[in-house]
Amino acid sequence: MATATLSRPTERPVWRRALGTDWKLGWMLVLPVLAVLAGLVAYPFVLAIALSFTDKMIGRPAHFVGWQNYRDVLFGDEFGSIFRRAVLNTVLYTVVAVACKSVLGMGMALFLHEQFPGRNLMRAICFLPWAIPSLIVGLSWQWIYNGTNAGVLNMLLNDLHLSDTLIQWLGNPRLALWSVILVVIWQGCPFYGMMFLAGLQAVQAELYEAAAIDGANIFQRYLYVTLPGLSAVATITILLSTIWTANSINYIYILTGGGPANTTMTFPMFAYQVGIAGAQRLGAASAITVLFLPFFLLIIFALTRRMLAEER
Amino acid sequence: MATLARPAGRTRARTRTRPLALKRVALLLTGLFFTLWTLGPIYWIVVTSLKTELQVYRQPTLVPTAVTFKNYQTVLFHSNFLLYIRNSLTVALVTTALSLVFGSICAYAIARLRFRGRRLVARAIVISYLAPGGLLFISLFELLTELHLTDKLAGLMVSYLSFTLPFCTWLMIGYFRTIPAELEEAALVDGCTRLRALIYVIMPLTLPALVVVALYSFTQAWNEFLYALVFISSDSQKTFTVGLIGLIQGDTLPWGPMMAAASLGMIPPIIIYVLAQRWVVSGLAAGAVKG
Repeated sequence: MATATLSRPTERPVWRRALGTDWKLGWMLVLPVLAVLAGLVAYPFVLAIALSFTDKMIGRPAHFVGWQNYRDVLFGDEFGSIFRRAVLNTVLYTVVAVACKSVLGMGMALFLHEQFPGRNLMRAICFLPWAIPSLIVGLSWQWIYNGTNAGVLNMLLNDLHLSDTLIQWLGNPRLALWSVILVVIWQGCPFYGMMFLAGLQAVQAELYEAAAIDGANIFQRYLYVTLPGLSAVATITILLSTIWTANSINYIYILTGGGPANTTMTFPMFAYQVGIAGAQRLGAASAITVLFLPFFLLIIFALTRRMLAEER
Repeated sequence: MATLARPAGRTRARTRTRPLALKRVALLLTGLFFTLWTLGPIYWIVVTSLKTELQVYRQPTLVPTAVTFKNYQTVLFHSNFLLYIRNSLTVALVTTALSLVFGSICAYAIARLRFRGRRLVARAIVISYLAPGGLLFISLFELLTELHLTDKLAGLMVSYLSFTLPFCTWLMIGYFRTIPAELEEAALVDGCTRLRALIYVIMPLTLPALVVVALYSFTQAWNEFLYALVFISSDSQKTFTVGLIGLIQGDTLPWGPMMAAASLGMIPPIIIYVLAQRWVVSGLAAGAVKG
């Protein structure tokens, strides 16, 4: 390096330019975070793939079993049909919840963007469910859905003579998934509301004025000014929420535990049941998560690119 | 003409009078809908927590005929609730403190220093932030078992770092970018070292941001459920989320005290949210959209 300095006395050494001026301090400062991420995110990813090829059970040593777990999960008598059900449920659950949260969140944001007395209070109220721990939300709705007359939904329906039977919101196989989705929407739509509101505030007022001068009515203005202005925020919100919604076990665990008859079984719940609760087969549970991995990796990489887009 | 009808409202001045009345009704109805939709369930929880057992089960009414605090007494003094709360507090505080310290120095390096691999680190942080617990909890459980950290609060603290740390770092990168580089350069010219400039010049400026990031991180750790459910089994190590589940599954608590516990557990995040509310929208947008 001495030679490099000598040959080009006016410039910084070659190695120094290649590594960047602050490389020593820079790497020193990022190292703790990198170490944690390597140990707690990268390594578990690799470990999940490795485990999925073993017969690892809780408290027992692992042996390599090749594709056995994948065969069991996809086609086995015990897991095959539940797995297919879980795929279907996960897709249905995620798509319906994300779609409803988007629409409701959009309505919320448009409403809260208007000017009216008490708007700040209204914002605070609308965003409240977002602040409540999801476990408490789940517990509370379990009580609201209670299948006896003590459940407020049944009580109201009976009092208003809209129904003369007690509806089993969480016990009826045809209703359970929808009941769970409603809870997910209840807690999730404030996040969309906030994100869309932030997006709305960034849309330039001049654009609306220009559109108004051009004679655009309220729907046209929404369609041609608001929506395009929100598309960047909306894409990120929806992708983020898709990852979180699909991977969340909380509501299902508390409300139904995956039942009745697996009608609310989604993949993380299934992985939990196979790996931790019932059979304690960590290998097979890993195989379940690994099967869903490619799909989420796609979303994660798409999102990462978008979130870093403005860095350059 | 519309300007005459409503001289006060600048934005509304452009719309005509008839749609204005329509708009008011629409706003009112929407407001009513969102209020009922949001506060309805919360009302029922709080109201249940104030009812006697008879009222909860036998004679349920929308408005309680008598108010009792017995349910709160049961939760606070005849269950492990306070122990669970203490565990939750410990875990959330430690996790937040660690994430704040290491996250902000890492964010500073990425936002301000020039070194090779900086972009790659930023990418790794975003990817980690997005990596969902639903995919990782099985192997994380195995990892913690190997390290003998399952069923310990320390294990929870470690595993919560996997999401609070990238989250804090990512938010802080955005905030550091908003601080003018000239400030720091001035300090460097005056003979400050990088580290001193960071501690004495930059950090005080990021203090408000640090508070917001701390609140977010605390809330995330406080609300976490999946890892606590999987990694913890002894009662003494349970956080309040898993603790409550144990109480309901063991039929230890009837719904009245249960809803009292739920009401109590809601309070810390709601207080935080009210405190941080004016930053919530802008902060979220900065973290998730702009960076």
